[in-house]
Amino acid sequence: MSVPHRSSVGEFGMWVFLASEMLFFSVLFFGYLVTRLHHPLGFASASRHTDVVIGSVNTAVLLTSSLMMALAGRSAAAGARRSAAGLLAATAGFGLIFLALKGLEYAHDAQHQLVPWRDFSLAFEPDAGGTRLFFWLYFIMTGAHALHLLIGITLVLTLMVVVARARHAIRHAETVEIIGLYWHLVDVVWIFLYPLLYLVSRT
Amino acid sequence: MSERVHSSPPVGSYVTVWALLILLLALTLGSSFIALHGLNFAVNLAIACAKAALVAVFFMRLRRSDALTRLAAAAAVLWILILVSLGLADVLTRV
Repeated sequence: MSVPHRSSVGEFGMWVFLASEMLFFSVLFFGYLVTRLHHPLGFASASRHTDVVIGSVNTAVLLTSSLMMALAGRSAAAGARRSAAGLLAATAGFGLIFLALKGLEYAHDAQHQLVPWRDFSLAFEPDAGGTRLFFWLYFIMTGAHALHLLIGITLVLTLMVVVARARHAIRHAETVEIIGLYWHLVDVVWIFLYPLLYLVSRT
Repeated sequence: MSERVHSSPPVGSYVTVWALLILLLALTLGSSFIALHGLNFAVNLAIACAKAALVAVFFMRLRRSDALTRLAAAAAVLWILILVSLGLADVLTRV
C-alpha cells in the first residue's frame, strides 16, 4: 500500500539540484545526437570498437548498486543501523567495481589506440572525422559520469560511517534517502549512455 | 517509528524492480544484435526510457513523493524536452 508521504525540504531541494544535473548531461546527449546525425557512418564503425562485454556487465553492476541503495534507504527508515550501514557499503562497493572495470576498459581503449587526441587507429577509416568525434564524446561523457560516480561513492561511504556510528539510524533516514536520489540519477545517466555508446551498430 | 516501518515497501518489491531492470538490459543488448530495419535505435531508446522510469518511480520513490517533488522531477523532464526539441528544430530543418 502506498501511504501518503510528505516529502522533506531536503528531498525537494535535491530534486531541483538533480534537474540541473539532468540538464548538464542533456547538453552532452544533445551534442551526441547532432554529431551522430551528421556522422552516422563514423558513429556506427567507431561504436563497434567499444567493449560491449564490459559495458553490459557495468550496466548490471550499477543497476545492482541502485538496488542496494534503495534497500539501504528502507533499512534506515526502519531504524536498522547495521543493515543500513552494510547496504551502504555494498552500494559503494558496486560503485567501485564499476570504476575498476571502467579503468580496465580505458586501458584497453588506449591499447587499441582509440584515444582521439593521441595516435588514433581509426584515423583512416571512412568518415574518420565521425569516428574521432565519437571517441571524443565517449571519453567526455563516460568521464563526466565516472566523476559523478566518484562523488557518489565518497558521499555514500561518508554516510555509511555516520550511520554505523549513529545511536538512532532513523535520524539519518532522510539523508540516506536524499543521497540515494543522487546515486540513482547517476545510474539513470548510465542507463542512457549504455545504448548510445555500446549498442549503436552491432548487427 | 513503527508507522514508517509499515509504510516501507517490502524488500521483494525492490528486488522485483531490479529483476525487471536486468531483464530490460538483456532485451536491449539482445535486440541490438538483430537487424530491426532501422528501428534498433528507437527500441534501445524506448528501453532506456523504461529503465529510467522504473528507477525514478520505485528507487527514487516518486511513487510515494508529494506533488511538489513530483513537479520538480517533471519540470526537469520538461526543460530537457524543450532543449532537445528546439535544438533539433534548428538542426533538422537546415538545408
